Amino acid sequence: MQHGFHFNGLRCTGCKTCMLACKDYHDLSPSISFRQVYEYVGGGWSVGADGLPAQDVFAYYVSSACNHCAHPICTQVCPTGAMGKDEDGIVTVDERRCIGCGYCALSCPYRAPKVDREAGHSVKCDGCVKRVREGKRPVCVEACPLRALDFGPVDELRRRYGEESDLLPLPDSSATSPSLVVTKPACVRADAERVAREGAVANVREIV
Amino acid sequence: MTGFPTAFSEITLVLFTTLAPSGALAYVLANLPIAFGRATDEEREHLDRSSWLLLAVTMVGLVASATHLGNPSNALYVFTAVGKSPLSTEVFCAVVFLALAGVYWLYSFAERPRRRLQRAAVIATNAAALAFVAATAFAYNVGTVPTWSHPLVPISLFANALMGGPVLACLGFAAARFEPGRAPWGGRLLGLSAAALAANLAVYAVMAVQLAPVSNELASVPELVPNYAAFIAAFAVLAAAGLFVGFRGLRARGRSLVVRMACASALVLAGLFVMRFTFYMSHLTIGLGI
Repeated sequence: MQHGFHFNGLRCTGCKTCMLACKDYHDLSPSISFRQVYEYVGGGWSVGADGLPAQDVFAYYVSSACNHCAHPICTQVCPTGAMGKDEDGIVTVDERRCIGCGYCALSCPYRAPKVDREAGHSVKCDGCVKRVREGKRPVCVEACPLRALDFGPVDELRRRYGEESDLLPLPDSSATSPSLVVTKPACVRADAERVAREGAVANVREIV
Repeated sequence: MTGFPTAFSEITLVLFTTLAPSGALAYVLANLPIAFGRATDEEREHLDRSSWLLLAVTMVGLVASATHLGNPSNALYVFTAVGKSPLSTEVFCAVVFLALAGVYWLYSFAERPRRRLQRAAVIATNAAALAFVAATAFAYNVGTVPTWSHPLVPISLFANALMGGPVLACLGFAAARFEPGRAPWGGRLLGLSAAALAANLAVYAVMAVQLAPVSNELASVPELVPNYAAFIAAFAVLAAAGLFVGFRGLRARGRSLVVRMACASALVLAGLFVMRFTFYMSHLTIGLGI
Protein backbone atom coordinates (compact mmCIF):
# COMPACT_ATOMS: atom_id res chain seq x y z
CA MET A 1 0.00 0.00 0.00
CA GLN A 2 1.53 3.30 -1.13
CA HIS A 3 2.03 5.79 1.70
CA GLY A 4 2.49 9.53 1.31
CA PHE A 5 2.22 12.99 2.83
CA HIS A 6 -0.50 15.61 2.90
CA PHE A 7 0.48 19.28 3.08
CA ASN A 8 -2.07 21.89 4.04
CA GLY A 9 -1.12 25.26 2.53
CA LEU A 10 -4.01 26.96 4.32
CA ARG A 11 -2.44 26.20 7.70
CA CYS A 12 1.34 26.32 7.27
CA THR A 13 2.96 29.45 8.72
CA GLY A 14 6.51 28.58 7.67
CA CYS A 15 7.72 28.10 11.26
CA LYS A 16 10.07 25.25 10.18
CA THR A 17 9.37 23.15 13.27
CA CYS A 18 8.92 20.18 10.91
CA MET A 19 12.45 20.72 9.54
CA LEU A 20 14.05 21.01 12.94
CA ALA A 21 12.15 18.07 14.44
CA CYS A 22 13.32 15.94 11.49
CA LYS A 23 16.93 17.09 11.82
CA ASP A 24 16.86 16.42 15.55
CA TYR A 25 15.20 13.00 15.30
CA HIS A 26 17.53 11.80 12.54
CA ASP A 27 20.55 13.59 14.07
CA LEU A 28 21.40 15.33 10.79
CA SER A 29 24.39 17.59 10.26
CA PRO A 30 23.82 21.29 9.47
CA SER A 31 24.43 20.64 5.76
CA ILE A 32 21.73 17.99 5.43
CA SER A 33 18.01 18.40 5.77
CA PHE A 34 15.42 15.84 4.74
CA ARG A 35 12.62 18.40 4.85
CA GLN A 36 12.67 21.94 3.46
CA VAL A 37 10.29 24.85 3.87
CA TYR A 38 10.04 27.08 0.81
CA GLU A 39 8.76 30.64 1.08
CA TYR A 40 6.93 31.48 -2.15
CA VAL A 41 6.18 35.16 -2.65
CA GLY A 42 5.20 37.74 -5.25
CA GLY A 43 3.68 41.15 -5.73
CA GLY A 44 4.88 44.39 -4.20
CA TRP A 45 4.15 48.00 -3.33
CA SER A 46 2.92 50.73 -5.63
CA VAL A 47 1.73 54.31 -5.24
CA GLY A 48 -1.75 54.94 -6.63
CA ALA A 49 -3.07 58.02 -8.43
CA ASP A 50 -4.28 59.33 -5.10
CA GLY A 51 -0.71 59.26 -3.79
CA LEU A 52 -1.39 56.49 -1.33
CA PRO A 53 0.81 53.40 -1.25
CA ALA A 54 -0.91 50.07 -1.81
CA GLN A 55 0.35 46.49 -1.83
CA ASP A 56 -0.65 43.37 -3.69
CA VAL A 57 1.75 40.99 -1.99
CA PHE A 58 1.04 37.29 -1.74
CA ALA A 59 3.09 34.76 0.21
CA TYR A 60 2.77 31.19 1.32
CA TYR A 61 4.97 28.37 2.55
CA VAL A 62 5.48 24.85 1.28
CA SER A 63 6.95 22.14 3.49
CA SER A 64 8.41 19.40 1.31
CA ALA A 65 10.40 16.21 1.85
CA CYS A 66 10.70 13.06 -0.22
CA ASN A 67 7.30 12.41 -1.76
CA HIS A 68 7.93 8.68 -2.20
CA CYS A 69 6.90 8.99 -5.84
CA ALA A 70 5.04 6.28 -7.71
CA HIS A 71 7.65 6.65 -10.46
CA PRO A 72 10.75 7.85 -8.59
CA ILE A 73 13.60 9.01 -10.78
CA CYS A 74 16.12 8.22 -8.02
CA THR A 75 15.40 4.47 -8.24
CA GLN A 76 15.61 4.59 -12.04
CA VAL A 77 19.08 6.16 -12.15
CA CYS A 78 20.61 4.41 -9.13
CA PRO A 79 23.46 2.28 -10.53
CA THR A 80 23.48 -0.27 -7.72
CA GLY A 81 19.81 -0.79 -6.95
CA ALA A 82 20.42 0.73 -3.50
CA MET A 83 17.48 3.07 -3.94
CA GLY A 84 14.22 1.14 -3.85
CA LYS A 85 10.64 1.15 -2.62
CA ASP A 86 9.54 -0.95 0.35
CA GLU A 87 6.19 -2.66 0.86
CA ASP A 88 4.65 0.63 2.03
CA GLY A 89 5.82 2.44 -1.10
CA ILE A 90 8.47 4.31 0.90
CA VAL A 91 11.62 5.08 -1.08
CA THR A 92 14.58 3.97 1.01
CA VAL A 93 18.35 3.68 0.67
CA ASP A 94 20.02 0.30 1.20
CA GLU A 95 23.24 1.50 2.82
CA ARG A 96 24.87 -1.88 2.17
CA ARG A 97 24.56 -1.36 -1.60
CA CYS A 98 24.90 2.43 -1.99
CA ILE A 99 28.21 3.69 -3.40
CA GLY A 100 27.50 7.35 -2.67
CA CYS A 101 27.77 8.43 -6.31
CA GLY A 102 25.11 11.10 -5.81
CA TYR A 103 23.20 10.41 -9.00
CA CYS A 104 19.95 10.21 -7.02
CA ALA A 105 20.58 13.63 -5.49
CA LEU A 106 21.39 15.13 -8.90
CA SER A 107 18.22 13.71 -10.46
CA CYS A 108 15.53 14.32 -7.83
CA PRO A 109 13.35 17.36 -8.66
CA TYR A 110 12.35 17.62 -4.96
CA ARG A 111 16.04 17.63 -3.85
CA ALA A 112 15.15 14.84 -1.44
CA PRO A 113 18.17 12.49 -1.38
CA LYS A 114 21.45 13.89 -0.09
CA VAL A 115 24.90 12.34 -0.04
CA ASP A 116 26.29 12.11 3.47
CA ARG A 117 30.01 12.37 2.70
CA GLU A 118 31.00 11.25 6.20
CA ALA A 119 28.82 8.15 6.08
CA GLY A 120 29.71 7.50 2.42
CA HIS A 121 26.18 6.91 1.18
CA SER A 122 22.94 8.65 0.27
CA VAL A 123 20.48 9.56 2.99
CA LYS A 124 16.89 10.67 2.78
CA CYS A 125 13.45 10.78 4.38
CA ASP A 126 12.27 7.25 5.13
CA GLY A 127 8.86 8.33 6.37
CA CYS A 128 10.13 7.65 9.92
CA VAL A 129 9.49 4.01 9.18
CA LYS A 130 10.40 2.86 12.70
CA ARG A 131 7.92 5.26 14.29
CA VAL A 132 5.21 4.32 11.80
CA ARG A 133 5.69 0.62 12.55
CA GLU A 134 5.21 1.44 16.23
CA GLY A 135 1.87 2.99 15.36
CA LYS A 136 3.16 6.57 15.55
CA ARG A 137 3.29 9.19 12.82
CA PRO A 138 6.47 10.65 11.24
CA VAL A 139 8.16 13.14 13.54
CA CYS A 140 7.56 16.09 11.17
CA VAL A 141 3.82 15.38 11.19
CA GLU A 142 3.80 14.97 14.96
CA ALA A 143 5.78 18.18 15.51
CA CYS A 144 3.79 20.55 13.29
CA PRO A 145 2.06 23.01 15.68
CA LEU A 146 -0.52 23.93 13.02
CA ARG A 147 -1.30 20.32 12.05
CA ALA A 148 -0.45 21.23 8.46
CA LEU A 149 1.10 17.83 7.72
CA ASP A 150 -0.39 14.38 7.61
CA PHE A 151 0.90 10.96 6.61
CA GLY A 152 -0.73 7.69 5.69
CA PRO A 153 -1.92 5.53 2.82
CA VAL A 154 -2.10 7.94 -0.11
CA ASP A 155 -5.51 6.66 -1.26
CA GLU A 156 -6.88 7.47 2.17
CA LEU A 157 -5.25 10.92 2.10
CA ARG A 158 -6.81 11.58 -1.31
CA ARG A 159 -10.25 10.57 -0.05
CA ARG A 160 -9.84 12.86 2.94
CA TYR A 161 -8.12 15.89 1.38
CA GLY A 162 -8.72 15.70 -2.39
CA GLU A 163 -6.71 14.81 -5.46
CA GLU A 164 -4.50 17.90 -5.78
CA SER A 165 -0.73 17.31 -5.84
CA ASP A 166 0.59 20.35 -7.75
CA LEU A 167 1.70 23.44 -5.90
CA LEU A 168 4.51 25.80 -6.84
CA PRO A 169 7.47 25.74 -6.34
CA LEU A 170 7.17 21.94 -6.44
CA PRO A 171 7.73 20.38 -9.87
CA ASP A 172 4.80 19.30 -12.01
CA SER A 173 3.46 16.04 -10.61
CA SER A 174 3.43 14.42 -14.07
CA ALA A 175 7.24 14.05 -13.87
CA THR A 176 7.46 11.49 -11.07
CA SER A 177 3.89 10.97 -9.74
CA PRO A 178 4.57 12.03 -6.12
CA SER A 179 2.61 10.39 -3.33
CA LEU A 180 1.56 13.80 -2.14
CA VAL A 181 -1.76 15.54 -1.55
CA VAL A 182 -1.84 19.31 -1.16
CA THR A 183 -4.45 21.71 0.09
CA LYS A 184 -3.73 24.90 -1.79
CA PRO A 185 -3.15 28.24 -0.02
CA ALA A 186 -5.79 30.96 -0.33
CA CYS A 187 -3.81 33.10 -2.76
CA VAL A 188 -3.40 30.17 -5.16
CA ARG A 189 -7.10 29.43 -4.98
CA ALA A 190 -7.84 33.09 -5.70
CA ASP A 191 -5.53 33.56 -8.68
CA ALA A 192 -3.32 30.61 -9.60
CA GLU A 193 -2.20 32.20 -12.86
CA ARG A 194 -0.86 35.29 -11.14
CA VAL A 195 0.98 33.20 -8.56
CA ALA A 196 2.58 31.15 -11.36
CA ARG A 197 3.51 34.31 -13.27
CA GLU A 198 4.90 36.42 -10.42
CA GLY A 199 5.85 33.97 -7.68
CA ALA A 200 9.42 33.10 -6.72
CA VAL A 201 11.21 31.31 -3.90
CA ALA A 202 12.32 34.04 -1.51
CA ASN A 203 14.49 32.02 0.88
CA VAL A 204 16.91 30.42 -1.59
CA ARG A 205 19.89 30.99 0.73
CA GLU A 206 18.22 29.02 3.50
CA ILE A 207 17.81 25.90 1.38
CA VAL A 208 20.25 23.04 2.09
CA MET B 1 24.16 31.77 -7.24
CA THR B 2 26.33 30.05 -9.86
CA GLY B 3 26.86 26.43 -10.79
CA PHE B 4 30.53 26.62 -9.83
CA PRO B 5 30.11 24.74 -6.51
CA THR B 6 28.23 21.93 -8.28
CA ALA B 7 30.90 21.59 -10.96
CA PHE B 8 33.69 21.84 -8.42
CA SER B 9 32.13 19.12 -6.25
CA GLU B 10 31.94 16.91 -9.36
CA ILE B 11 35.44 17.85 -10.56
CA THR B 12 36.50 14.21 -10.79
CA LEU B 13 33.60 13.52 -13.15
CA VAL B 14 34.64 16.56 -15.18
CA LEU B 15 38.08 14.98 -15.46
CA PHE B 16 36.63 11.56 -16.27
CA THR B 17 34.38 12.81 -19.07
CA THR B 18 37.27 14.88 -20.45
CA LEU B 19 39.83 12.09 -20.56
CA ALA B 20 38.02 8.78 -20.94
CA PRO B 21 36.02 9.27 -24.18
CA SER B 22 38.99 10.85 -25.96
CA GLY B 23 41.36 8.20 -24.61
CA ALA B 24 39.05 5.39 -25.74
CA LEU B 25 38.61 6.84 -29.22
CA ALA B 26 42.36 7.42 -29.48
CA TYR B 27 42.87 3.75 -28.63
CA VAL B 28 40.50 2.79 -31.45
CA LEU B 29 42.23 5.06 -33.97
CA ALA B 30 45.73 3.99 -32.94
CA ASN B 31 44.82 0.34 -33.42
CA LEU B 32 43.17 0.74 -36.82
CA PRO B 33 46.35 -0.30 -38.70
CA ILE B 34 46.24 -3.60 -36.77
CA ALA B 35 42.48 -4.03 -37.12
CA PHE B 36 42.70 -3.57 -40.89
CA GLY B 37 45.78 -5.77 -41.16
CA ARG B 38 47.89 -2.92 -42.51
CA ALA B 39 50.62 -2.97 -39.86
CA THR B 40 53.85 -4.88 -40.35
CA ASP B 41 55.03 -7.13 -37.51
CA GLU B 42 57.46 -4.47 -36.32
CA GLU B 43 54.83 -1.72 -36.47
CA ARG B 44 52.34 -3.94 -34.67
CA GLU B 45 54.85 -4.54 -31.92
CA HIS B 46 55.48 -0.83 -31.48
CA LEU B 47 51.76 -0.06 -31.44
CA ASP B 48 50.99 -2.84 -28.97
CA ARG B 49 53.75 -1.78 -26.58
CA SER B 50 52.73 1.88 -26.63
CA SER B 51 48.98 1.38 -26.29
CA TRP B 52 49.42 1.59 -22.51
CA LEU B 53 49.72 5.36 -22.90
CA LEU B 54 46.21 5.72 -24.33
CA LEU B 55 44.84 3.20 -21.87
CA ALA B 56 46.49 5.16 -19.07
CA VAL B 57 44.67 8.33 -20.16
CA THR B 58 41.37 6.44 -20.04
CA MET B 59 42.27 4.77 -16.74
CA VAL B 60 43.22 8.08 -15.10
CA GLY B 61 39.75 9.33 -16.01
CA LEU B 62 38.07 6.23 -14.67
CA VAL B 63 40.06 6.21 -11.45
CA ALA B 64 39.33 9.92 -10.99
CA SER B 65 35.62 9.23 -11.32
CA ALA B 66 35.85 6.50 -8.66
CA THR B 67 37.37 8.92 -6.15
CA HIS B 68 34.11 10.84 -5.84
CA LEU B 69 32.30 7.74 -4.59
CA GLY B 70 31.37 7.70 -0.93
CA ASN B 71 31.72 3.94 -0.57
CA PRO B 72 33.68 2.31 -3.43
CA SER B 73 33.65 -1.03 -1.58
CA ASN B 74 30.05 -1.52 -2.79
CA ALA B 75 31.04 -0.88 -6.40
CA LEU B 76 30.44 -4.46 -7.53
CA TYR B 77 26.70 -3.88 -7.08
CA VAL B 78 26.96 -1.63 -10.15
CA PHE B 79 26.75 -4.74 -12.29
CA THR B 80 23.28 -5.56 -10.94
CA ALA B 81 21.66 -2.62 -12.74
CA VAL B 82 23.25 -2.85 -16.19
CA GLY B 83 20.67 -1.86 -18.78
CA LYS B 84 18.43 -0.24 -16.14
CA SER B 85 20.60 2.61 -14.92
CA PRO B 86 22.56 4.61 -17.53
CA LEU B 87 25.39 5.07 -15.03
CA SER B 88 25.60 1.34 -14.41
CA THR B 89 25.70 0.64 -18.15
CA GLU B 90 28.46 3.20 -18.55
CA VAL B 91 30.61 1.64 -15.81
CA PHE B 92 29.98 -1.85 -17.23
CA CYS B 93 31.08 -0.74 -20.71
CA ALA B 94 34.19 0.89 -19.25
CA VAL B 95 35.14 -2.26 -17.36
CA VAL B 96 34.59 -4.48 -20.43
CA PHE B 97 36.71 -2.16 -22.59
CA LEU B 98 39.55 -1.90 -20.11
CA ALA B 99 39.49 -5.63 -19.37
CA LEU B 100 39.67 -6.53 -23.06
CA ALA B 101 42.36 -3.93 -23.69
CA GLY B 102 44.37 -5.13 -20.72
CA VAL B 103 44.21 -8.77 -21.77
CA TYR B 104 45.12 -7.84 -25.34
CA TRP B 105 48.07 -5.78 -24.14
CA LEU B 106 49.35 -8.65 -21.99
CA TYR B 107 48.96 -11.07 -24.91
CA SER B 108 51.05 -8.76 -27.08
CA PHE B 109 54.06 -9.81 -24.98
CA ALA B 110 53.66 -13.46 -26.06
CA GLU B 111 56.74 -14.77 -27.82
CA ARG B 112 54.73 -16.30 -30.66
CA PRO B 113 51.35 -14.55 -30.71
CA ARG B 114 48.68 -15.79 -33.08
CA ARG B 115 48.07 -12.95 -35.48
CA ARG B 116 44.47 -13.77 -36.31
CA LEU B 117 43.59 -14.03 -32.65
CA GLN B 118 45.36 -10.75 -32.01
CA ARG B 119 43.49 -9.02 -34.81
CA ALA B 120 40.14 -10.38 -33.63
CA ALA B 121 40.96 -9.20 -30.11
CA VAL B 122 41.78 -5.69 -31.38
CA ILE B 123 38.50 -5.51 -33.27
CA ALA B 124 36.55 -6.68 -30.19
CA THR B 125 38.39 -4.20 -27.97
CA ASN B 126 37.75 -1.36 -30.40
CA ALA B 127 34.04 -2.23 -30.48
CA ALA B 128 33.99 -2.20 -26.66
CA ALA B 129 35.72 1.19 -26.67
CA LEU B 130 33.10 2.65 -29.01
CA ALA B 131 30.31 1.16 -26.86
CA PHE B 132 31.91 2.81 -23.82
CA VAL B 133 32.02 6.22 -25.54
CA ALA B 134 28.34 5.82 -26.50
CA ALA B 135 27.39 4.75 -22.96
CA THR B 136 29.19 7.79 -21.54
CA ALA B 137 27.42 10.07 -24.01
CA PHE B 138 24.01 8.84 -22.84
CA ALA B 139 24.83 8.45 -19.13
CA TYR B 140 23.46 11.91 -18.39
CA ASN B 141 20.14 11.46 -20.14
CA VAL B 142 17.93 11.97 -17.08
CA GLY B 143 14.44 13.25 -17.86
CA THR B 144 14.22 15.45 -14.76
CA VAL B 145 17.43 17.33 -15.65
CA PRO B 146 16.55 19.44 -18.72
CA THR B 147 20.08 20.75 -19.21
CA TRP B 148 21.48 17.21 -19.34
CA SER B 149 18.69 15.48 -21.28
CA HIS B 150 19.02 18.00 -24.12
CA PRO B 151 19.43 16.08 -27.42
CA LEU B 152 22.72 17.85 -28.18
CA VAL B 153 24.39 16.61 -24.99
CA PRO B 154 25.31 13.14 -26.35
CA ILE B 155 26.28 14.72 -29.66
CA SER B 156 28.59 17.12 -27.85
CA LEU B 157 30.28 14.23 -26.06
CA PHE B 158 30.81 12.36 -29.34
CA ALA B 159 32.20 15.59 -30.85
CA ASN B 160 34.48 15.97 -27.80
CA ALA B 161 35.86 12.47 -28.34
CA LEU B 162 36.31 13.10 -32.06
CA MET B 163 38.33 16.20 -31.24
CA GLY B 164 40.50 14.83 -28.46
CA GLY B 165 40.82 11.26 -29.77
CA PRO B 166 42.76 11.93 -33.00
CA VAL B 167 45.27 14.23 -31.28
CA LEU B 168 45.84 11.65 -28.56
CA ALA B 169 46.11 8.96 -31.26
CA CYS B 170 48.89 11.00 -32.89
CA LEU B 171 50.61 11.04 -29.50
CA GLY B 172 50.17 7.25 -29.34
CA PHE B 173 51.64 6.86 -32.83
CA ALA B 174 54.55 9.12 -31.94
CA ALA B 175 55.22 7.12 -28.76
CA ALA B 176 55.12 3.94 -30.90
CA ARG B 177 57.82 5.44 -33.14
CA PHE B 178 55.32 5.82 -35.93
CA GLU B 179 55.79 9.22 -37.48
CA PRO B 180 52.32 10.44 -38.32
CA GLY B 181 53.70 13.28 -40.45
CA ARG B 182 55.29 10.77 -42.84
CA ALA B 183 51.97 9.18 -43.70
CA PRO B 184 48.93 10.93 -45.16
CA TRP B 185 46.74 9.78 -42.28
CA GLY B 186 48.75 11.90 -39.82
CA GLY B 187 47.42 15.08 -41.37
CA ARG B 188 44.00 13.49 -41.82
CA LEU B 189 43.76 12.63 -38.14
CA LEU B 190 44.46 16.21 -37.11
CA GLY B 191 42.10 17.35 -39.88
CA LEU B 192 39.38 15.19 -38.29
CA SER B 193 40.15 16.84 -34.98
CA ALA B 194 39.90 20.30 -36.56
CA ALA B 195 36.56 19.39 -38.15
CA ALA B 196 35.37 18.14 -34.76
CA LEU B 197 36.43 21.48 -33.24
CA ALA B 198 34.15 23.25 -35.71
CA ALA B 199 31.34 20.79 -34.90
CA ASN B 200 31.88 21.34 -31.17
CA LEU B 201 31.67 25.10 -31.58
CA ALA B 202 28.45 24.79 -33.59
CA VAL B 203 26.92 22.44 -30.99
CA TYR B 204 27.90 24.68 -28.08
CA ALA B 205 26.60 27.78 -29.84
CA VAL B 206 23.21 26.14 -30.39
CA MET B 207 23.15 24.83 -26.81
CA ALA B 208 23.99 28.30 -25.47
CA VAL B 209 20.95 29.70 -27.25
CA GLN B 210 18.58 26.84 -26.45
CA LEU B 211 19.54 26.46 -22.78
CA ALA B 212 19.49 30.20 -22.00
CA PRO B 213 15.73 30.27 -21.24
CA VAL B 214 15.87 27.08 -19.13
CA SER B 215 15.28 27.64 -15.44
CA ASN B 216 13.65 26.09 -12.40
CA GLU B 217 12.22 27.65 -9.25
CA LEU B 218 15.66 28.35 -7.78
CA ALA B 219 17.95 29.32 -10.68
CA SER B 220 18.30 29.81 -14.41
CA VAL B 221 21.03 28.55 -16.73
CA PRO B 222 22.44 32.08 -17.31
CA GLU B 223 22.77 32.42 -13.52
CA LEU B 224 24.41 29.02 -13.14
CA VAL B 225 26.79 29.50 -16.08
CA PRO B 226 27.55 33.21 -16.30
CA ASN B 227 29.62 34.26 -19.33
CA TYR B 228 28.94 31.05 -21.22
CA ALA B 229 30.31 32.74 -24.35
CA ALA B 230 33.62 33.36 -22.57
CA PHE B 231 33.88 29.66 -21.70
CA ILE B 232 33.25 28.76 -25.36
CA ALA B 233 35.90 31.27 -26.43
CA ALA B 234 38.42 29.79 -23.98
CA PHE B 235 37.62 26.34 -25.33
CA ALA B 236 38.12 27.50 -28.92
CA VAL B 237 41.44 29.21 -28.15
CA LEU B 238 42.87 26.23 -26.23
CA ALA B 239 41.72 23.66 -28.81
CA ALA B 240 42.92 25.76 -31.78
CA ALA B 241 46.29 26.28 -30.07
CA GLY B 242 46.56 22.53 -29.50
CA LEU B 243 45.79 21.75 -33.13
CA PHE B 244 48.26 24.41 -34.28
CA VAL B 245 51.00 22.78 -32.18
CA GLY B 246 49.92 19.38 -33.51
CA PHE B 247 50.02 20.39 -37.18
CA ARG B 248 53.38 22.08 -36.71
CA GLY B 249 54.68 19.05 -34.82
CA LEU B 250 53.89 16.62 -37.64
CA ARG B 251 57.23 17.42 -39.23
CA ALA B 252 59.21 16.67 -36.08
CA ARG B 253 60.88 13.37 -35.29
CA GLY B 254 61.77 11.22 -32.29
CA ARG B 255 61.41 12.69 -28.84
CA SER B 256 60.60 16.14 -30.22
CA LEU B 257 57.59 14.64 -32.01
CA VAL B 258 56.37 13.00 -28.78
CA VAL B 259 56.79 16.23 -26.80
CA ARG B 260 54.94 18.30 -29.40
CA MET B 261 52.09 15.82 -29.63
CA ALA B 262 51.89 15.69 -25.82
CA CYS B 263 51.63 19.49 -25.73
CA ALA B 264 48.99 19.44 -28.46
CA SER B 265 47.00 16.80 -26.54
CA ALA B 266 47.27 18.72 -23.26
CA LEU B 267 45.97 21.92 -24.86
CA VAL B 268 43.07 20.20 -26.62
CA LEU B 269 42.13 18.30 -23.45
CA ALA B 270 42.32 21.54 -21.43
CA GLY B 271 39.80 23.04 -23.84
CA LEU B 272 37.52 20.04 -23.41
CA PHE B 273 37.89 20.28 -19.63
CA VAL B 274 36.57 23.85 -19.73
CA MET B 275 33.41 22.81 -21.54
CA ARG B 276 32.88 19.72 -19.41
CA PHE B 277 33.11 22.01 -16.38
CA THR B 278 30.35 24.22 -17.78
CA PHE B 279 28.26 21.09 -18.37
CA TYR B 280 28.26 20.34 -14.64
CA MET B 281 27.76 24.02 -13.83
CA SER B 282 24.57 23.96 -15.88
CA HIS B 283 22.99 21.21 -13.79
CA LEU B 284 19.43 21.89 -12.66
CA THR B 285 16.36 19.72 -12.36
CA ILE B 286 12.80 20.67 -13.06
CA GLY B 287 11.36 21.99 -9.83
CA LEU B 288 13.86 22.50 -7.07
CA GLY B 289 17.15 20.73 -7.78
CA ILE B 290 20.39 22.62 -8.42
